[in-house]
Amino acid sequence: MKEIYLDCMYEVCPIPLIKASKELKKMEIGDLLIMKTDHNCSITNVIEWVEKQKLKMDYVEIDEGEWEIYIEKT
Amino acid sequence: MRVYQKVFKNPWSYMIGGGILALLNILLLAATGTPWRVTGGFFYWGIWLFETFGVMVNTDISGVYDGLGPSETLLFNTVSILNLSVILGAMLSALSSNEFKRRKIKNKKQLIVGISGGFLMGYGARISFGCNVGSVFSGIPSFSLHGWIFWIFLTIGAYIGAKILMKYLL
Repeated sequence: MKEIYLDCMYEVCPIPLIKASKELKKMEIGDLLIMKTDHNCSITNVIEWVEKQKLKMDYVEIDEGEWEIYIEKT
Repeated sequence: MRVYQKVFKNPWSYMIGGGILALLNILLLAATGTPWRVTGGFFYWGIWLFETFGVMVNTDISGVYDGLGPSETLLFNTVSILNLSVILGAMLSALSSNEFKRRKIKNKKQLIVGISGGFLMGYGARISFGCNVGSVFSGIPSFSLHGWIFWIFLTIGAYIGAKILMKYLL
Protein backbone atom coordinates (compact mmCIF):
# COMPACT_ATOMS: atom_id res chain seq x y z
CA MET A 1 0.00 0.00 0.00
CA LYS A 2 1.44 3.28 -1.14
CA GLU A 3 0.58 6.80 -0.05
CA ILE A 4 0.45 9.38 -2.80
CA TYR A 5 0.49 13.05 -1.91
CA LEU A 6 -1.23 15.53 -4.20
CA ASP A 7 -0.66 19.26 -3.65
CA CYS A 8 -3.74 21.21 -4.77
CA MET A 9 -3.12 24.31 -2.68
CA TYR A 10 -4.17 27.63 -4.24
CA GLU A 11 -5.92 25.84 -7.08
CA VAL A 12 -9.59 26.27 -7.87
CA CYS A 13 -12.34 24.08 -9.36
CA PRO A 14 -12.19 21.91 -11.35
CA ILE A 15 -8.40 21.47 -11.26
CA PRO A 16 -8.15 19.53 -7.94
CA LEU A 17 -10.84 17.09 -9.11
CA ILE A 18 -9.22 16.51 -12.52
CA LYS A 19 -5.80 16.05 -10.89
CA ALA A 20 -7.28 13.52 -8.45
CA SER A 21 -9.02 11.51 -11.15
CA LYS A 22 -5.84 11.41 -13.26
CA GLU A 23 -3.81 10.30 -10.25
CA LEU A 24 -6.33 7.64 -9.23
CA LYS A 25 -6.12 6.04 -12.66
CA LYS A 26 -2.37 5.49 -12.20
CA MET A 27 -2.74 4.10 -8.67
CA GLU A 28 -3.09 0.48 -7.66
CA ILE A 29 -5.85 -1.03 -5.52
CA GLY A 30 -5.28 -0.32 -1.82
CA ASP A 31 -3.21 2.81 -2.46
CA LEU A 32 -4.13 5.98 -0.60
CA LEU A 33 -4.39 9.41 -2.22
CA ILE A 34 -3.89 12.40 0.08
CA MET A 35 -5.02 15.71 -1.39
CA LYS A 36 -4.30 19.03 0.25
CA THR A 37 -6.57 21.90 -0.75
CA ASP A 38 -7.64 25.34 0.44
CA HIS A 39 -10.68 25.52 -1.83
CA ASN A 40 -13.93 24.61 -0.10
CA CYS A 41 -15.73 23.92 -3.40
CA SER A 42 -13.25 21.08 -3.88
CA ILE A 43 -14.55 19.44 -0.74
CA THR A 44 -18.07 19.49 -2.18
CA ASN A 45 -17.27 18.33 -5.70
CA VAL A 46 -14.59 15.79 -4.79
CA ILE A 47 -16.93 14.16 -2.24
CA GLU A 48 -19.74 14.08 -4.80
CA TRP A 49 -17.47 12.53 -7.41
CA VAL A 50 -15.88 10.00 -5.05
CA GLU A 51 -19.30 8.84 -3.86
CA LYS A 52 -20.36 8.28 -7.47
CA GLN A 53 -17.19 6.21 -8.03
CA LYS A 54 -18.00 4.23 -4.86
CA LEU A 55 -14.55 4.79 -3.36
CA LYS A 56 -13.71 5.07 0.33
CA MET A 57 -12.92 8.60 1.45
CA ASP A 58 -12.61 10.92 4.41
CA TYR A 59 -11.50 14.50 4.97
CA VAL A 60 -10.17 16.63 7.79
CA GLU A 61 -9.93 20.39 8.17
CA ILE A 62 -6.29 20.63 9.18
CA ASP A 63 -6.25 24.41 9.53
CA GLU A 64 -8.70 27.28 9.02
CA GLY A 65 -9.77 26.91 5.39
CA GLU A 66 -7.31 24.10 4.65
CA TRP A 67 -8.28 20.49 4.18
CA GLU A 68 -6.76 17.08 3.57
CA ILE A 69 -8.88 14.61 1.62
CA TYR A 70 -8.06 10.90 1.82
CA ILE A 71 -9.24 8.63 -0.97
CA GLU A 72 -8.58 4.89 -1.06
CA LYS A 73 -8.59 3.12 -4.37
CA THR A 74 -10.75 0.04 -4.10
CA MET B 1 -23.48 24.04 17.66
CA ARG B 2 -25.54 21.88 15.29
CA VAL B 3 -27.37 24.96 14.02
CA TYR B 4 -24.07 26.80 13.52
CA GLN B 5 -22.69 23.84 11.55
CA LYS B 6 -25.79 23.70 9.37
CA VAL B 7 -26.17 27.41 8.67
CA PHE B 8 -22.60 28.71 8.54
CA LYS B 9 -20.18 25.84 8.09
CA ASN B 10 -21.70 23.28 5.73
CA PRO B 11 -22.38 24.32 2.14
CA TRP B 12 -26.03 24.86 1.27
CA SER B 13 -27.67 22.70 -1.38
CA TYR B 14 -27.87 23.91 -4.99
CA MET B 15 -31.68 24.10 -4.70
CA ILE B 16 -31.61 26.41 -1.67
CA GLY B 17 -28.79 28.53 -3.08
CA GLY B 18 -30.49 28.86 -6.48
CA GLY B 19 -33.83 29.67 -4.87
CA ILE B 20 -32.35 32.44 -2.73
CA LEU B 21 -30.50 33.90 -5.74
CA ALA B 22 -33.71 33.94 -7.79
CA LEU B 23 -35.66 35.61 -4.98
CA LEU B 24 -32.96 38.25 -4.47
CA ASN B 25 -32.82 38.96 -8.20
CA ILE B 26 -36.60 39.54 -8.26
CA LEU B 27 -36.30 41.91 -5.29
CA LEU B 28 -33.40 43.73 -6.96
CA LEU B 29 -35.37 44.15 -10.18
CA ALA B 30 -38.38 45.47 -8.24
CA ALA B 31 -36.25 47.88 -6.23
CA THR B 32 -33.84 49.25 -8.85
CA GLY B 33 -35.49 48.43 -12.18
CA THR B 34 -32.49 46.42 -13.39
CA PRO B 35 -31.67 42.76 -12.73
CA TRP B 36 -28.31 41.56 -11.39
CA ARG B 37 -25.28 42.14 -13.60
CA VAL B 38 -21.57 42.18 -12.87
CA THR B 39 -19.18 43.07 -15.67
CA GLY B 40 -20.96 46.34 -16.51
CA GLY B 41 -19.46 47.68 -13.30
CA PHE B 42 -15.93 46.82 -14.42
CA PHE B 43 -16.71 48.41 -17.79
CA TYR B 44 -17.57 51.69 -16.05
CA TRP B 45 -14.47 51.44 -13.88
CA GLY B 46 -12.35 50.79 -16.97
CA ILE B 47 -13.70 53.89 -18.68
CA TRP B 48 -13.07 55.89 -15.52
CA LEU B 49 -9.48 54.66 -15.48
CA PHE B 50 -8.96 55.56 -19.15
CA GLU B 51 -10.47 59.02 -18.70
CA THR B 52 -8.42 59.68 -15.57
CA PHE B 53 -5.25 59.03 -17.54
CA GLY B 54 -6.45 61.27 -20.34
CA VAL B 55 -7.58 58.66 -22.88
CA MET B 56 -10.93 59.71 -24.28
CA VAL B 57 -13.54 56.99 -24.68
CA ASN B 58 -16.20 57.57 -27.31
CA THR B 59 -19.18 57.24 -25.00
CA ASP B 60 -21.67 58.28 -27.71
CA ILE B 61 -21.02 55.15 -29.77
CA SER B 62 -20.83 52.68 -26.90
CA GLY B 63 -23.88 54.19 -25.15
CA VAL B 64 -22.12 54.14 -21.80
CA TYR B 65 -24.18 56.75 -20.03
CA ASP B 66 -27.51 55.22 -21.14
CA GLY B 67 -27.06 52.59 -18.47
CA LEU B 68 -26.36 55.07 -15.69
CA GLY B 69 -29.04 56.86 -13.68
CA PRO B 70 -29.04 60.64 -13.19
CA SER B 71 -27.22 60.56 -9.85
CA GLU B 72 -24.82 57.74 -10.79
CA THR B 73 -21.18 58.18 -11.75
CA LEU B 74 -18.68 55.88 -13.45
CA LEU B 75 -17.24 54.86 -10.10
CA PHE B 76 -20.32 54.95 -7.93
CA ASN B 77 -23.40 53.28 -9.40
CA THR B 78 -25.80 50.40 -8.78
CA VAL B 79 -23.55 47.80 -10.46
CA SER B 80 -20.41 48.82 -8.59
CA ILE B 81 -22.27 48.77 -5.26
CA LEU B 82 -23.54 45.29 -6.14
CA ASN B 83 -20.03 44.11 -7.01
CA LEU B 84 -18.56 45.46 -3.78
CA SER B 85 -21.43 43.89 -1.84
CA VAL B 86 -20.78 40.49 -3.42
CA ILE B 87 -17.16 40.68 -2.21
CA LEU B 88 -18.29 41.82 1.24
CA GLY B 89 -20.93 39.07 1.47
CA ALA B 90 -18.48 36.38 0.36
CA MET B 91 -16.01 37.64 2.94
CA LEU B 92 -18.62 37.50 5.70
CA SER B 93 -19.55 33.98 4.67
CA ALA B 94 -15.90 32.88 4.74
CA LEU B 95 -15.37 34.54 8.12
CA SER B 96 -18.53 33.07 9.68
CA SER B 97 -17.52 29.56 8.60
CA ASN B 98 -13.99 30.17 9.91
CA GLU B 99 -12.48 29.57 6.47
CA PHE B 100 -11.14 33.01 5.68
CA LYS B 101 -7.68 32.73 4.24
CA ARG B 102 -5.35 34.68 2.00
CA ARG B 103 -4.70 32.70 -1.13
CA LYS B 104 -1.27 32.83 -2.71
CA ILE B 105 -0.35 32.43 -6.35
CA LYS B 106 0.92 28.92 -6.89
CA ASN B 107 3.38 29.50 -9.72
CA LYS B 108 4.14 31.59 -12.80
CA LYS B 109 1.97 29.41 -15.03
CA GLN B 110 -1.09 29.99 -12.86
CA LEU B 111 -0.42 33.75 -12.97
CA ILE B 112 -0.05 33.88 -16.76
CA VAL B 113 -3.04 31.61 -17.43
CA GLY B 114 -5.09 33.62 -14.93
CA ILE B 115 -4.28 36.97 -16.51
CA SER B 116 -4.90 35.78 -20.07
CA GLY B 117 -8.12 34.02 -19.04
CA GLY B 118 -9.35 37.13 -17.25
CA PHE B 119 -8.53 39.30 -20.26
CA LEU B 120 -10.45 37.02 -22.64
CA MET B 121 -13.40 36.85 -20.26
CA GLY B 122 -13.51 40.61 -19.87
CA TYR B 123 -13.26 41.22 -23.60
CA GLY B 124 -15.88 38.57 -24.38
CA ALA B 125 -18.25 39.87 -21.73
CA ARG B 126 -18.11 43.36 -23.23
CA ILE B 127 -18.68 42.46 -26.87
CA SER B 128 -21.59 40.21 -25.87
CA PHE B 129 -23.18 42.80 -23.51
CA GLY B 130 -22.70 40.86 -20.31
CA CYS B 131 -21.31 37.88 -18.49
CA ASN B 132 -23.05 34.69 -17.40
CA VAL B 133 -24.84 36.65 -14.70
CA GLY B 134 -26.14 39.51 -16.86
CA SER B 135 -26.91 37.37 -19.90
CA VAL B 136 -27.94 33.95 -18.59
CA PHE B 137 -29.03 34.49 -15.00
CA SER B 138 -30.77 37.82 -15.66
CA GLY B 139 -31.25 37.76 -19.44
CA ILE B 140 -33.18 34.50 -19.76
CA PRO B 141 -35.75 35.32 -17.01
CA SER B 142 -36.19 38.73 -18.70
CA PHE B 143 -37.34 36.88 -21.84
CA SER B 144 -34.36 38.11 -23.83
CA LEU B 145 -33.38 35.90 -26.75
CA HIS B 146 -29.75 36.96 -26.41
CA GLY B 147 -29.54 35.09 -23.12
CA TRP B 148 -30.32 31.77 -24.81
CA ILE B 149 -27.85 32.36 -27.64
CA PHE B 150 -25.23 33.40 -25.07
CA TRP B 151 -25.94 30.23 -23.09
CA ILE B 152 -25.52 27.93 -26.12
CA PHE B 153 -22.16 29.46 -27.05
CA LEU B 154 -21.08 29.57 -23.41
CA THR B 155 -21.58 25.79 -23.29
CA ILE B 156 -19.57 25.27 -26.50
CA GLY B 157 -16.81 27.54 -25.17
CA ALA B 158 -16.72 25.77 -21.81
CA TYR B 159 -16.46 22.41 -23.59
CA ILE B 160 -13.51 23.58 -25.71
CA GLY B 161 -11.97 25.21 -22.63
CA ALA B 162 -12.23 21.98 -20.66
CA LYS B 163 -10.54 20.06 -23.51
CA ILE B 164 -7.67 22.59 -23.62
CA LEU B 165 -7.35 22.44 -19.83
CA MET B 166 -7.18 18.64 -19.79
CA LYS B 167 -4.77 18.39 -22.71
CA TYR B 168 -2.32 21.24 -22.28
CA LEU B 169 -2.61 22.81 -18.85
CA LEU B 170 -2.63 19.87 -16.47
